[in-house]
Order: sequence, then C-alpha cells, then structure tokens
Amino acid sequence: MLKINNLHVEVGGKEILKGLDLQVGPGEVHAIMGPNGSGKSTLGYTLAGREGYEVSQGSVEFEGEDLIELEAEERAAAGLFLAFQYPVEIPGVNNAYFLRAALNAQRKARGEDEVDSIDFLRSVREQLKALKMDDSLLKRAVNEGFSGGEKKRNEIVQMAVLQPKLAILDETDSGLDIDALKLVADGVNRLRNEERSFVVITHYQRLLEHLVPDYVHVLSHGRIVESGGRELAERLEQEGYGFLAPEENAA
Amino acid sequence: MSALLEKFSQASLPEIDPAFDLLRRKAQKVLMQHGFPQRKTEAWKYTPISLLEKRDWADAETDRGIADVHLPFDAHILQVHNGRVNPDNMAAIDGVEVRRLQADEIDTSLYVDHDSTDAFAWLNLARLEQGWKIRIHASLAQPLALVFTADDDFAQAVHPRFIVEVADGCSAELIEWQDLNGQGLINSVMDISVQANASLEHVIYRDCGDTALIERSHVQVGQGASYEVHALDLGGCLTRQDLKVDLTAAEAATRTHGVAALNDRQLVDYHTAIQHQVGPSHSHEDFRILADDRSMGTFNGRIHILQGADDSHSDMNTANLLLSENARINTKPELEIYAEEVTASHGATIGQLEEAARFYLRSRGLNDADALALLKLGFAAAAFDTLEADPLRDVLIAKLKAAL
Repeated sequence: MLKINNLHVEVGGKEILKGLDLQVGPGEVHAIMGPNGSGKSTLGYTLAGREGYEVSQGSVEFEGEDLIELEAEERAAAGLFLAFQYPVEIPGVNNAYFLRAALNAQRKARGEDEVDSIDFLRSVREQLKALKMDDSLLKRAVNEGFSGGEKKRNEIVQMAVLQPKLAILDETDSGLDIDALKLVADGVNRLRNEERSFVVITHYQRLLEHLVPDYVHVLSHGRIVESGGRELAERLEQEGYGFLAPEENAA
Repeated sequence: MSALLEKFSQASLPEIDPAFDLLRRKAQKVLMQHGFPQRKTEAWKYTPISLLEKRDWADAETDRGIADVHLPFDAHILQVHNGRVNPDNMAAIDGVEVRRLQADEIDTSLYVDHDSTDAFAWLNLARLEQGWKIRIHASLAQPLALVFTADDDFAQAVHPRFIVEVADGCSAELIEWQDLNGQGLINSVMDISVQANASLEHVIYRDCGDTALIERSHVQVGQGASYEVHALDLGGCLTRQDLKVDLTAAEAATRTHGVAALNDRQLVDYHTAIQHQVGPSHSHEDFRILADDRSMGTFNGRIHILQGADDSHSDMNTANLLLSENARINTKPELEIYAEEVTASHGATIGQLEEAARFYLRSRGLNDADALALLKLGFAAAAFDTLEADPLRDVLIAKLKAAL
C-alpha cells in the first residue's frame, strides 16, 4: 500500500526528515510515536502534499504510484486522507456543502458518478450520530466556532464519508477528553478492514489502548529509530523516550 | 465652469415643467459656484471622476425605448431604460402608487450645506428630466423591482430621481436590478422614507460594465421601523454608492450589507453614513470587498450617534480580500459617539486567502481552482447570511459564484 524509502524532506531550507523508511501493508495500523520536533507532522503533511514540504531525496510509493508526483487533490482522489492536527476553519462554507463537493470531486477524478444527495445526507447523518455530533453541524461553517474536540471529531466524520484507502491521523487524540477519545477510536475501528490502512501519529499510548496498532514505530530526528509491536508503545509509556541513544533523544 | 460641468452641459436636455426649470437653474448655479470634488477632496479621493471628463455625452433621446426584461425571480417590474421610466410601459400594482414627482417634493435642504460631496446630487437636479414617487401603502407579497436597462450604444449621462415611501406598518421588498450595457452615466438619487413600524428590505444588484454609476440614497427610518439593504456589486468601470441612513425615532433599526467582487480595472466606492438621531436605535453593518487584478474597492463607513440617542447599539464590520498584488482596497470605519450608555463596535480587516485553508480543501479532493472559488464564495456570501432564504438569495449567490 505505502512504501517510503529513504525519505528526506526540507521545510524552509531545513532538513526535517532525514532518511525515513516505512512500509504499510493493506489493513494494517501503524502507530508513529516520538518526541516533539522529531518530524511526525512533517511526515503527515509531506504525504498529503502540502506546498513547502520539499522532498530532496528518497521515494514514496502509494498503491504502486509515485506519490510525490501527485498534487494534493490527486492524492485524495487516489485514497489518501490526512486528519489534521489543527483542522482549519473555513468561514462561510457549510459542512454539508463542503463534504459533498469534496466527495464529488474525488469521485469525478476517479471517473465515478456524482453521489446521490439523499444517500449522501443519510450517510453523513449516520456518521454524525456515531460520533455524537449534532445534525446542526451540517449547516455550520466548516470548523468555525467548533470546540477543539468537535474539530477532531469532524475530521473523523470526513474520513468516514470519504472512505480513504489510507488514513493518516496526525495527533487526532491531542486535546480530547477520555469520552471523545473513545468516540474517535471507535470511529476509526469501525472503518478498519482488510483493505484500509492507518498511520496513527500520536504522543501518547492512551489512544492505542482503544485503537490497537499492528506496528509501533519511534520517530526521532527525522528517522525511524525503533520498530516493534504494541508492546513498544507500552514501554515508551513507562520509560519515556529516555532509552533512545542520547544523540537520538536530544530534541 | 469646470471642465466636467461643461461636458455635461454640451448635451441637449428636453424641456421640462417650469417649476423644475427653476430647480435646474438653481442647481446649475450651485454647481458653478462650488464645482465638483477634486482629487484632494477627502470623500472622493478614491473615485476618479476624471474618467467622466473623458467622455462625450450623447444628447437626451426623445424616443422612449424599452428592452426585454427577464428576471430569474417573481417581482412587480418597473423598468428604467436608459435612465428613464416609460409611463406607457407601466402596469398598475396593487398597494403601490407610482406617479411623477412634483417640484415642491424635492427637498434641496438635504444638500444645502453645499458640501462638495453632494455635487452629484446637485448635478442630478441641474440635469433632471423626470422624477418618480413610489408610495407603497400596503404590504407587498411580491418584491417591487426597479429594473435598470441600457442599450448597447447607451452613451448619455442621465439623472433619475426617486422618492420611495413605505407607509406606516407596511412591509415591502424593493429590488434595484442593474444589468447595464453601453458607456453612459447613471447618476441617480433615491430618497427613501420607511415610516413608523414599516419595514423595507432593499436589494441592490449591479453589473455595470462601462456605464458609470453614481448613486446617492438617503433613507429615513421612523419609529419601530426597519430598513435592511443588501448590495451586490459585480463591478463596473466606476460605481459610487453613497448611502445615508438616519434613524429618526426610537426603536428604528437598520442592517446594511454589501459585497463587491471586482476584477480587471473595476472600481467600487462605498460611502455609508448611519446616524442614530434618537435612542434606543440599532444598526448593524457588514461590507466585504474582494479585489482581483488591478481593481480598486473602497469602503468608508461612518456611524454617528448623536447626543441624546442613548441606549443605542451599533456594530460595523468590514472584511476585505486582496486577491492580486496590483489590486487595492481602502477601508475606513469612523465612529462618533455623543450619547450615553451606547454599545458600539467596529472592525476592519484586509487580508489574503490563507494557504492553510487552500491546502485543507485540496487535501479533501478539491482542485486548486475550486478550492479558491469556494473560499472566496464563503468569504463573500457571509454578508448574505441575513438575507431571507428565497429564490432571490439563490440568484444572488449564483451570480456571485459565477463572478468569482
């Protein structure tokens, strides 16, 4: 599904990712943990195609295609989704309109028909209900005036409607209370299947109790320095990042 | 005589009722004395009227033509073709009286301070051909649309004048629909009175091309009455709107909104002045300008709360988007308060579209052009949030969308 090989990324002339390797197979959930400034969000933005994140070396293959060559919207249509750490407010554009425009743009790019508007609304309402969000949210401007938790849940609603092949969750757990965290984890778990993969970027092991990963990686100084199963997350929780080599831990 | 006045005077003018002739001569005299605003005149420094000096105005026509009018919503239509209402082309409307204006109904004291900002109101009188009084004396189920049309070769300077009255307790919707061709000038004056407990919803749509438009509206809002305006400007070579709203009695209220979406070398200049004369009275204002290419947009909004207009409330907001390096936006909110216990606020922003928002939309699958259009529409359409959801609102949003 996703093959990242020796990825080097510069932001504003500064190298943030310095030779990152990662492979994600279909249906797998990978957690990426690491201290502040290790390059976690840079990885998310680079994969989603944000301008200013320059790949200076290495390659990223998604479903056999060179991801780096694609525009952000082409990556979305190909099935890649980034849940933002800080979802952006879009004043004046209501959620329902935005979501339908996004879904139809993706479908059009894939040569599919536009979604039926009644089916669309039904599916969005189901997702809202599952995440305990009010229907009135559909008429509100995207993320405008939302609480931090509502913004994060709204990302999960979008993900559920857009049905990506690979979802990257960038610190979706930060700023959530326990109840919201569980709702978000349940939302992700409902979408898990043999085809769909997740890269879950997080600081804490907390989310991983509800959203059990197949693999856990530690990112430090722009490289993956340790990989393992879910027990690695538990070890990090107990020991912190102190066990990393001093050079690796000097964040 | 100023070069501009000379230009206007060169075109012939039809004979008019002698009572109006006196007014014309008086106005001509005032204009000769005080002239037109100069570049250094504060209120006109962003409206380059020198453009009007470059044009040769055609003679007034005697032939009263009409153009086909198709509005995308239901309305009673009153057509103003090449700046004139054709009385043969008027259908009776229940609850509305439309008749010619009498000379003694024109209150020149409104412009008596000879402030140069009123030069075009005087010009309107100096070159007056016809004026109309529209009295709405029953609540209207359908909007009344003043539809301005112009021939492709329209090259006159015309000066229509209207007095609109909404009688006590009546409610109505007035639409000014200006979809203009040609290279003329429409210099109109509209005095509106919304009487006690009446309400008027005023919608102004303008897409003017090379016909210049100078419009001066003076609105008086009575006790418990409300005046609400939504203006949508899709640009023109020169569009100038002066809007003065006087809240003359307790519980008078006004909501003024405007959106200008400009490109090429288009120019729109809004000057609004809301005066709270008596308290408690209420005003809310929201103007938005999106300027692309080499266009220029100006918003100058003044709120004046007079002594004694206690317990009044006023908020004014102007938000603007610069979409190109060569576009210009000038914005100036002014607040003057002489009353007690008022709440008043104002905010003004000029910004650019955020890269983060664009990326967010693109990461969901919208291409860059669609993302940009959606962001611009979202920004602009916020000024129409308060407009009742009806076919007209949909038409305006669709027009806006097509222009962005």
